Amino acid sequence: MTLIKNSEIVQDHWTVLDENQALQADHNIIDLDYWNANKDALIASKAPLGLLVQGDTGPDQFIDDIQHFELIAINFPSFVDGRGYSLAKTLREKHHYTKEIRAVGEVLPDQALYLTRVGFDALEFPTKEAGLLALEKLSEFSVFYQAAAN
Amino acid sequence: MYLYNEFDQTLVNERVEQFRDQTTRFLNGDLTEEQFRPLRLMNGLYIQTHAPMLRVNIPYGLLSSKQLRMLAHISHKYDKDYGHFTTRQNMQFNWPELERVPDILADLASVQMHSIQSSGNCIRNTTSDPLAGVCADEIEDPRPYCEIIRQWSTLHPEFSYLPRKFKIAVSGSPKDRAATQVHDIGLHVKKDEAGQVGFEVLVGGGLGRTPVIGQTIAPFIAEEDLLSYLEAILRTYNRFGRRDNKYKARIKILVRETGLDTFKEQVEQEWASIKDGQLKLTNDNIQRVKSYFTPLNYETANDEALEQHLANSGAFRQWFQQNTKAHKQAGYRVAFISLKSPTCPPGDITNVQMEHVADLADQFSFGQIRTTHDQNLALTDVKSSDLYALWQQLTAHELATANIGTITDMICCPGLDFCSLANASSIDIAQGITDRFTDSAIDTGNISLKMSGCMNGCGHHSIGEIGILGVDKKGEQWYQLTLGGSDSHQSKLGERLGKAIAKDDVVDAIDDIVHVYKANRTDNEDFASTLQRIGLQPFKDKVYDAH
Repeated sequence: MTLIKNSEIVQDHWTVLDENQALQADHNIIDLDYWNANKDALIASKAPLGLLVQGDTGPDQFIDDIQHFELIAINFPSFVDGRGYSLAKTLREKHHYTKEIRAVGEVLPDQALYLTRVGFDALEFPTKEAGLLALEKLSEFSVFYQAAAN
Repeated sequence: MYLYNEFDQTLVNERVEQFRDQTTRFLNGDLTEEQFRPLRLMNGLYIQTHAPMLRVNIPYGLLSSKQLRMLAHISHKYDKDYGHFTTRQNMQFNWPELERVPDILADLASVQMHSIQSSGNCIRNTTSDPLAGVCADEIEDPRPYCEIIRQWSTLHPEFSYLPRKFKIAVSGSPKDRAATQVHDIGLHVKKDEAGQVGFEVLVGGGLGRTPVIGQTIAPFIAEEDLLSYLEAILRTYNRFGRRDNKYKARIKILVRETGLDTFKEQVEQEWASIKDGQLKLTNDNIQRVKSYFTPLNYETANDEALEQHLANSGAFRQWFQQNTKAHKQAGYRVAFISLKSPTCPPGDITNVQMEHVADLADQFSFGQIRTTHDQNLALTDVKSSDLYALWQQLTAHELATANIGTITDMICCPGLDFCSLANASSIDIAQGITDRFTDSAIDTGNISLKMSGCMNGCGHHSIGEIGILGVDKKGEQWYQLTLGGSDSHQSKLGERLGKAIAKDDVVDAIDDIVHVYKANRTDNEDFASTLQRIGLQPFKDKVYDAH
């Protein structure tokens, strides 16, 4: 995986936890079910946490706990599913979430610019090649009719 | 009309380069067809039966003569010397080569045009009344608001991967000439008691497989809140619209399944949080755009010369009565140019005709041309005293068919001949109807006939007084007829006449319908009134007893 953060390729310190994986020492990205089931222990551990949500997850399902997360990762099941764009925009604009919002899943380099315009500051691509192309695509437009979300 | 500043121009130029790069990467194999598809669609490029099809936006149906000349040039250089006007006021080219599309886009950008979001699951070109700014019944010119919507929706980062396509139409008059009730969002300009401009907002209209008339979601939204309200609707749709079935993905299905009241609550809740944010339009924002649409420099004119020509020439009189309409300015008329001549498929125009229309616009109508949702053109600002000279020149270029509003002025999609979605052809049926009715069309009176080659409904058959829908039955082309639809300010869906009709019998069936109407009408009774009075049965009897 190649991670772009604030228009640069950076080292990724985070681990997305899948179902059977044990919790790492810190920098775990967990999903909503895991969070809800282990909330108290996770809060007590004080380790930095990220939350993985789907594009169609309603913000009301996690917004009351949002202060516990250093990042929100929004998963795109398909690159034509635009729900994640509205979720990111809502987190930035309505809930004033200022930490990392990361796009994961099926995301194309050609979508990098729009993603950053709605509030994603981190984009995950499967290869370095895709990441480099995405960096190029970030400067494809110099003018916009819409204000940026971040 | 609106003119691009440096900002607007930079944006379309950068878009051309973006698409050039995407096309190159696709041709090199670096982008898969699946990945390229939504990208090319957002530039108006379909892959059709024979070749790609490129759809070019004509924002709210307004063209300068220079732009029309460029469309003529493009059709000649990259296509087969003609273009096709659509029901959403745009132009389609049916034969471009994929490799050359970036060059076409660059040519378009050189005259302040583009094809951004003319297809794909995003916000499409905003359409409007072709008589905007010139009709006497107008509350307020809708075009500045259309331009504001065009800018807001262009390359919108959040709404480019919607569940399905999204169409907005704006009408500035109580009489709806933009089919706003069959759009995802329809906007009607209104004024409140204090004289403030705003909009009645309709939502959830649409044609296609499940035709639905839009419902009022907000009776009055002040002009300053236009964009925030639109954004609230779009965000609600983007979040909750269905993505599991593309035939159930339009906003009309969401509104139906959610219920208008609940949907409205969701929208208004969203709206409350953004209403007073960055999208609020200032008076300066609105006035800046309005300054491009100030009234033209009309001269004082009278109808003396016109009266004389009308008295002297029967053919001119017929064209005048059928193809021209009143103008708000005394001494001026609106002249429609019919693209439904007996020799051409509906909505088609050759490059030579485009050049001529551009010249005539320069000579007679302030260099501007309008496209209409029924696939014709209009020169909206012609001095009455010039009408005769205009008519003579239109006649010379086969552009003076006096049939606006009649049965031969039909709306028709490209059908099976070009479209990969179609079940049945429409162009040859249109030709059959034109041949049958050309001589009697005016005498028959105005009847709106609309035809689609499949249930996607691009030819608006559901809202035709006579609707024809092509269907596939075991590999054969059949046609379903409906009667009584309407696209006026009281839009209505037509009722099915009966079982589908074989291709060879369609023109006879239309003839039967017209005969029943003519035999039953009283004095000047129009088709809709006769149908309402006598009901469907006499039409059914005639059509199905005969075949």
